[in-house]
Amino acid sequence: MTTARIALTDRAGLQRTLRRFGWTAGVWLLLLVILGWYAALIPRFGAFTITSIAKNSLPLVYLSVAQAVIVIAGGIDLSVGAMLVLSNALAAQLMDGRAFVVTLLLAVVVIVFAATLNGIVGWIINVSRVPDIVVTLATSFIFSGMALLILPSPGGGTSGGFRAIFTGSSTGTGTNFWPPILMIVLPITLAAVWMRRSRAGLSLYAAGSDPNAAFLSGVRTARAKITAYAVGGAFGAMAGLAALGITGSGESRASTGANFTLKSIAAIVLGGIALTGGIGSLVGAAAAGIILFTLSPVLSAMGIDPNTAQVIQGSLIVVVMMAAGMLELRRKRAE
Amino acid sequence: MTAESPTADTPPGARIALWFGEHPIVVLATVLVTLVLVTGIIQPSYLSIGGLRNTVLFAAPLGILAGAQTILMLTGGIDLSVGMIATAAAYVAGNQSPNGAAIAIVLGLLVGVAAGAANGVGVGVFRVNPLIMTLAMSAILLGLFTALSFTVLQGSTTVAPFIKTLGGGSFFGSRIPYNALVWFGVSVLIIYGLRRTGLGRLLYAVGDNPVAVRLAGVRIWQVQIAAYTIAGLLAALAGILLAGRTGAVDLQLAVNFLLPSVAAAVIGGTSIFGGIGTYSGTIFGALILGVLATLLTFLDAGQAVQQVVYGSIVLALAWLYSSLTAAA
Repeated sequence: MTTARIALTDRAGLQRTLRRFGWTAGVWLLLLVILGWYAALIPRFGAFTITSIAKNSLPLVYLSVAQAVIVIAGGIDLSVGAMLVLSNALAAQLMDGRAFVVTLLLAVVVIVFAATLNGIVGWIINVSRVPDIVVTLATSFIFSGMALLILPSPGGGTSGGFRAIFTGSSTGTGTNFWPPILMIVLPITLAAVWMRRSRAGLSLYAAGSDPNAAFLSGVRTARAKITAYAVGGAFGAMAGLAALGITGSGESRASTGANFTLKSIAAIVLGGIALTGGIGSLVGAAAAGIILFTLSPVLSAMGIDPNTAQVIQGSLIVVVMMAAGMLELRRKRAE
Repeated sequence: MTAESPTADTPPGARIALWFGEHPIVVLATVLVTLVLVTGIIQPSYLSIGGLRNTVLFAAPLGILAGAQTILMLTGGIDLSVGMIATAAAYVAGNQSPNGAAIAIVLGLLVGVAAGAANGVGVGVFRVNPLIMTLAMSAILLGLFTALSFTVLQGSTTVAPFIKTLGGGSFFGSRIPYNALVWFGVSVLIIYGLRRTGLGRLLYAVGDNPVAVRLAGVRIWQVQIAAYTIAGLLAALAGILLAGRTGAVDLQLAVNFLLPSVAAAVIGGTSIFGGIGTYSGTIFGALILGVLATLLTFLDAGQAVQQVVYGSIVLALAWLYSSLTAAA
């Protein structure tokens, strides 16, 4: 009798764990499958390929995390891509020809600047009561304009040591894959633990899931939104810095920003974050960011031209979302 | 308007704010006239038939695109693929121009209908989030048409003379652009459709309270497919007009119009959450953005400053609008 009941609760517990982390686990599994597939497709899958995938997916991974934090808190940021471009331009302009230590300090300055700027955006959303999507649409124009003011033509630079942080080599190409992998793992683990374990991080989940209930239970929802946008801005700046590390110079093209913004939204939805807020994990969003980046080399290794690859990528996202919608519907009917 | 009526002890300032909140169209008109006058002060030649004609010429395609956006925002949706649908339609129209303007226009519009209907099926039947569905549609169309431009759609990238006249020409002693005439017709249809037809009212209802609408026996997916198809058609029309204005087509043609199309609807008072808004507001939004673009060109400030000012003014207008209507 007792054993049966215990077995039952165990299974219920397992089901709950599955429901909660199933999607995230599934996304990571999908990433592993894609990487394995890629390894089988190309003749030499070695340190160089791993380095290349790890470093080149950094900007999108950071941007997905930025978008994830903001969406979990109940917002959406159409200016994360513009923030990438802005911090990329600012950093390239400031760091050109400086020593390694100076570039590190400047990186901190750029991150703090971006966090403050986006925190102000969060504050404006609170005060004006204009929807997030509209405010960030306007700020995406403002940010890309600022980027163009700071860096009118492609250029600028950074120190070799700074490039090595993101790419593993001072020239930007190499076979040392530990630095880029650590740059994926460390910031995201930190942010994910902060989101799940700290009071401030949990308040973002609460505010995104039901702002009224959160407010009535004493969560400072206004502060939660400002925090979310500030953290998002910081990760947007990280993405810009990573892009600078990869290419070694800055470029302020508005279309780059718009593209990255759209990809970040696709990534978080694929990563299991609900656009309605309060649901999902940063770890899933990060994996989805890597998947979205890796798909293009995989498809090109299969001999598919980039345009067809883009069609396939778009269709895949829709199919995955359709499947997810159907599963959700069936689960709701079953309950 | 569910506002309390002003009582005797309401202070006059609040009364004025309340009145403006209840008549947002007056605020929009004031902003528009002010912008026109400011532009006129900076560049006196602007205050002429020719100057205003150029603004309308710019605003007409934007206004039609924003119409697509308005219809979808009323249902609680959004279309991030309008720019790409417009581009694709224009590309087909340009490619088919040697076969005559009529065939070119019809085939171009069909592209919009097909892409819009696909969006509608994704959103309505498969419940994909509109942001994701239209985002993916945009990526699919870009990839598809880039690939097709090397194969099936090789050839003509200039549009037929008739389309050129329609998109960029003027009549009545070159005072009134033809595309304004098209925009006027579309506006009448949209405003009438939203106010007087069953589908128009359903669009509002679906955005306002989908549960109630479903319980009342409406098949929401049908409304959504209709809305996205109409939006696709309007986007295609805007794309063809745009191609007529520039005379040639490329795959970047209307991409930069996506964000302004959302901005025009929002400035015009359409709620992004659905159920609230009018197309007449959106018309003012498109005109305001049109004058703003002209103003920034006259200021000759460079692209960077233009973008910053453009974004700041869009934000300020949205803020002004929301604070005024919140008071009412």
